[in-house]
Amino acid sequence: MASNQDSNRPQNTRAIMSFLREHAPFSSMDDAHLAHFAEHATLRFFADGDEVLSPDDGIVKRFYVVKQGRIRGERHNDKEDRTETTFEISRGECFPLAALIGERPTRTLHRADGDTFCLSIEQDAFITLFSESDPFRDFCLRGVSSLLDQVNQRIQSNAMASMGSSNSLDTPLERYALRNPIVCSPDLPVRKAVARMHENNVGSIIITDDNRHPIGIFTLRDLRTMIAEEKGPLDTPVRQVMTAEPCRLPADADAFEAAMLMAEHHFAHLCVVDDEQRLIGVVSERDLFALQRVDLVNLARTIGTATHLRTLVSLRSDVSRLVDAMLAHGADSGQVVKIITTLNDVTVRRVLELNLQKNDPGIPFTWLTFGSEGRQEQTLLTDQDNGILFRTPEGMTEEQVREKLLPFAQTVNKELAECGFTLCKGNIMASNPKLCLSNREWDDWFIRFIDASTPQNLVYSSIFLDMRAVFGPTEPLHELLEKVLTRIRKNALFQKMLAGNALQRKPPLTMFRNFRYLNEEKKHALDLKRQGLAPFVESVRVFALANGVETANTLERMEELAKKGVFDPKDANAWKEAYSLIQAIRMRAHQEMLSRGEELTNYIDPDDLNPLDRRILRESFRQAQRLQQKLEVTYQL
Amino acid sequence: MLDYIKQWLERRRAGQLGEHDRENLPTPKSAGDQLLSDCRLIVLDLETTGLNAARDEVIAIGAVAISGGVIHLDDQFDLILRRPELDISETVLIHGIGPEALTQGHETEDALLYLLEWMNGDPVLAYHSAFDQKFLEKTLKAQLGYTQPHLWIDVADLLPAFFPDAKTGGKRLDNWADFFGLEVSERHHAAADALATAELTLVALNKARKEGVKTLKELNDKLRYQRRLQNMHRF
Repeated sequence: MASNQDSNRPQNTRAIMSFLREHAPFSSMDDAHLAHFAEHATLRFFADGDEVLSPDDGIVKRFYVVKQGRIRGERHNDKEDRTETTFEISRGECFPLAALIGERPTRTLHRADGDTFCLSIEQDAFITLFSESDPFRDFCLRGVSSLLDQVNQRIQSNAMASMGSSNSLDTPLERYALRNPIVCSPDLPVRKAVARMHENNVGSIIITDDNRHPIGIFTLRDLRTMIAEEKGPLDTPVRQVMTAEPCRLPADADAFEAAMLMAEHHFAHLCVVDDEQRLIGVVSERDLFALQRVDLVNLARTIGTATHLRTLVSLRSDVSRLVDAMLAHGADSGQVVKIITTLNDVTVRRVLELNLQKNDPGIPFTWLTFGSEGRQEQTLLTDQDNGILFRTPEGMTEEQVREKLLPFAQTVNKELAECGFTLCKGNIMASNPKLCLSNREWDDWFIRFIDASTPQNLVYSSIFLDMRAVFGPTEPLHELLEKVLTRIRKNALFQKMLAGNALQRKPPLTMFRNFRYLNEEKKHALDLKRQGLAPFVESVRVFALANGVETANTLERMEELAKKGVFDPKDANAWKEAYSLIQAIRMRAHQEMLSRGEELTNYIDPDDLNPLDRRILRESFRQAQRLQQKLEVTYQL
Repeated sequence: MLDYIKQWLERRRAGQLGEHDRENLPTPKSAGDQLLSDCRLIVLDLETTGLNAARDEVIAIGAVAISGGVIHLDDQFDLILRRPELDISETVLIHGIGPEALTQGHETEDALLYLLEWMNGDPVLAYHSAFDQKFLEKTLKAQLGYTQPHLWIDVADLLPAFFPDAKTGGKRLDNWADFFGLEVSERHHAAADALATAELTLVALNKARKEGVKTLKELNDKLRYQRRLQNMHRF
């Protein structure tokens, strides 16, 4: 292939090359390959609505790049007898990859959506590029998924710049686990068990039964407690002082699950077991994080044992640093929001515990969280949405209970605000008498909410229908939820109103398309939370409540809905991915705002994104539209 | 075809004269029953030293070919003529070809012979084609003594004939390019303007097909009728 100087190429060849250079995968290809493309290309025009490629055209022999305009893929939905748009291909994007490589006809009708120009090359030029250009071949073989990889890689590499390690939390646990862990039988005296630990220079020993099932764990911390609290002499059998029923995970679980389990329970060691629950290894917090300096467990433990509010407040900046580190180590956005939620939960619990120590109102209660915290979808920008659920003790009225609980709740709300959980502007807080209710009152509240639903009520659906217990007994909430779910399942009208409400927020696609043509004009801001995530969260909530799915987490709701056959598994995956990508872009924006010392907002200017992220964001928004369409069809809206 | 141009350019750089069969230059085709969906059309744009065909000269030729309703980028023409004796100071700001580029251009006679062979007698389209036609015919006659008339089609007539209601805000190439959202890589570069004109031609040919205009003759007749209609309105 000739590698002439650029200036020796005809103007139109140069122009096409510079157009291609703006888009993946061409942006990573050599000039000689781009020139080969440009010199062998044809330029075709399709008016709005023209067929570009059809399954009836036979085996695909041509590779297209959209130069201007848009192509949409059409699939006929036999069940509902209507045409659906399955994908959109816009400026700089290529088609049809799978059919061309598979040497088969396309399965989807490709139609011009607006007046469209496409550059195309014939099969022989395609094969030349495919065999000579590595970036081009990678792109064609991996298709769009390689674009998603690129985004994830960049999210990681940004945060990684300051970290310098590439260990991923997706790594299976067995890679971390210590083989041949140090074990002993339950009857061994503590002195001998500790001697064995000392010989092997380890901090823990697993107590197993005759079948090598782990029945307990004894660590240096346990030894310290035992001596400090004078629990017994050193010849006590280890079974009397061990922690029974140690946490265990199968070998194919990944490091992330282990880290989460440790953070939740403040354990530093986990047993790794095989299919028959036999011990095959031990993994410690140090093993997981030694290389990574990601001190999730330690941070959770420090928060969970802090003795002053001041300490809790100062630890919040560590949470932000941790999020950076997690992103750096390949945790996906779903993992990171769960971590943030876990750490927030620990903080909330500790604030409650510290206040109970100081000033116990003397009445058991369940601390509820609503909204994004209820869904376990918190990012760094978060405000308080909480409430209290109590059982009225014998001989007391509900008002009397409130008199005791409300001052307590007020202090907690104020202290949480100091920890960085902004006070809720709508006063959705436990110190609000309307949200500090007995089980009976909550039940009545939901009956009114569901049966007499007004438009104002529906605004609150995103808060109160995503509910979780953070502190106190969980059983009362479970009972309440069961009643609420049954009522919603029986109430088709309420479902329909919820569905109508969920369609209020449309993905910002029109706006997004406009900005492409408005270079010099006023810049547009997108609200990633309200315009990007909310359409998913709200639509999924309707399906979840209507189908008795109890979890509040949006990704888990989608999984459950796929399992129940409400969502097509492929659709569910596409929606989960789209939702996670918007979340990832939002979190990266938050981290950047934080590093610039700016106030956190959910707004981004799409012009600030690189073309790849813009493309992915647009595709994610389109998935949100599809989900909303499903809602429209289901509820005939 | 592009490879052919490359070979030719290399021969020229090496100082060899092109070999042309001057006795058998292609004969221009007339507007007959050729199907628009498979005939070859030349879309051409010239840059000149000025607007006066009697006095000014052609300095650059850009052209692309449409075959089968598709622009083939391996079938294009993009040459600056070697005319060092010309004074181009007046227009240099518009087309951006400076004296240096002109001296590095190509022997006019050779380039024109090559253009004629490449055009192969096919119909020529241009935006405000009267201008390009006058200049090209004058140049061909003066340099080669070639006087056979090509069939010329004005894209400035073609577009309003098929999009009579388009609110373009003007009749210039830029107005139509903006109307259809085209990006012109470098305005007043002969080849870039030729490509933009060819893209507009594709849009018009797509509409022509849907209106049942199938052959070159039908297209030519429609345009002639359109012109007559316009002239009637004028009086």
